[in-house]
Amino acid sequence: MKKRIVIGVMVLLILAAGIYAWSEFNRTVNSLANIKADYNTPAAALIAEFENDEAAAQKKYNDKIVTVIGMVKSIEDVDNSYTVVLGDTNSMSSVRCLIDSTATAAVIGISRGMEINIKGALTGFKKDETGLLGSDVELNRCIIEHSKQ
Amino acid sequence: MNHKISVLSGLLLLTVVTVQGQDKFFTKNGRINFVSKGKIETIQANHKSVTCVLDTKTGNIQFAVLMKGFEFRKALMQEHFNENYVESDKYPRSEFKGQVTSNNAIDYTKDGEYPVQVKGKLTIHGVSRDVEAEGKIMVKNGKLQARSGFVILLSDYNISIPSMVKDNISNNVTITVDCLLEPLKT
Repeated sequence: MKKRIVIGVMVLLILAAGIYAWSEFNRTVNSLANIKADYNTPAAALIAEFENDEAAAQKKYNDKIVTVIGMVKSIEDVDNSYTVVLGDTNSMSSVRCLIDSTATAAVIGISRGMEINIKGALTGFKKDETGLLGSDVELNRCIIEHSKQ
Repeated sequence: MNHKISVLSGLLLLTVVTVQGQDKFFTKNGRINFVSKGKIETIQANHKSVTCVLDTKTGNIQFAVLMKGFEFRKALMQEHFNENYVESDKYPRSEFKGQVTSNNAIDYTKDGEYPVQVKGKLTIHGVSRDVEAEGKIMVKNGKLQARSGFVILLSDYNISIPSMVKDNISNNVTITVDCLLEPLKT
């Protein structure tokens, strides 16, 4: 009897391990909707951190979820993929937020000049070496949290 | 009367100078996809935030991409890609700096499809290599669609595939580039 219980438990454990491995193999990237941000920061402050000390900012924000607060400079649409650009109109530098494919419906409700909060995964910083494009902090998997008119 | 002619001439000159000032084209929403066909599995990823600048006067072309922006269907693939293969914490950015070699053959003011050769240095995982690729530049309504496809070997960029997953990931990776470039107002 004891032998059967032991075998039974072992089979269950192997099955559990197999199910876990299979689900892990097929796991898709999570939506950020229910994930709490690691940092909340205004767009201008975030840009300044990277422009002043890129290495330190890279270390701080590496693989982190950030909620950026700022004014919409522009909304770029390429084949229904939306990038919302936040920042000050008097600066060439911006925070570029690639909206998650599950969250594009909310883009309809925002427009240039609005103050909004966007939560996303920080992918890095593109320093402008040409002097023509402005430097950008980039985020993806972004969700628009809320906006004020 | 003379004063009016001077003002008109001045305005005309300004217009001509402004129109001819569209030398540089750019995008920050370019697409790069890559595919690796292993024996067991095909791995592919898309990037939608590629920066590209093309100087139509010189044919100089540059691309920059943040590696963490590559999106995979499976989270585990994305994690392995960043942590084990391209080590994006150490090498967050990849870039290409080169030249459209047939630039003089392209009339950027005339709508049309122009086959091109691009030559330059591709830097991935901290390694720079000379790369040559064929592509197309389509001129339409004042915008340029730049497309290209080429193959790289991961081993050329010191990206090693553990023997355990050799059948899942091929050393040959096909890269396709698709960028819609607009005039850069300087």
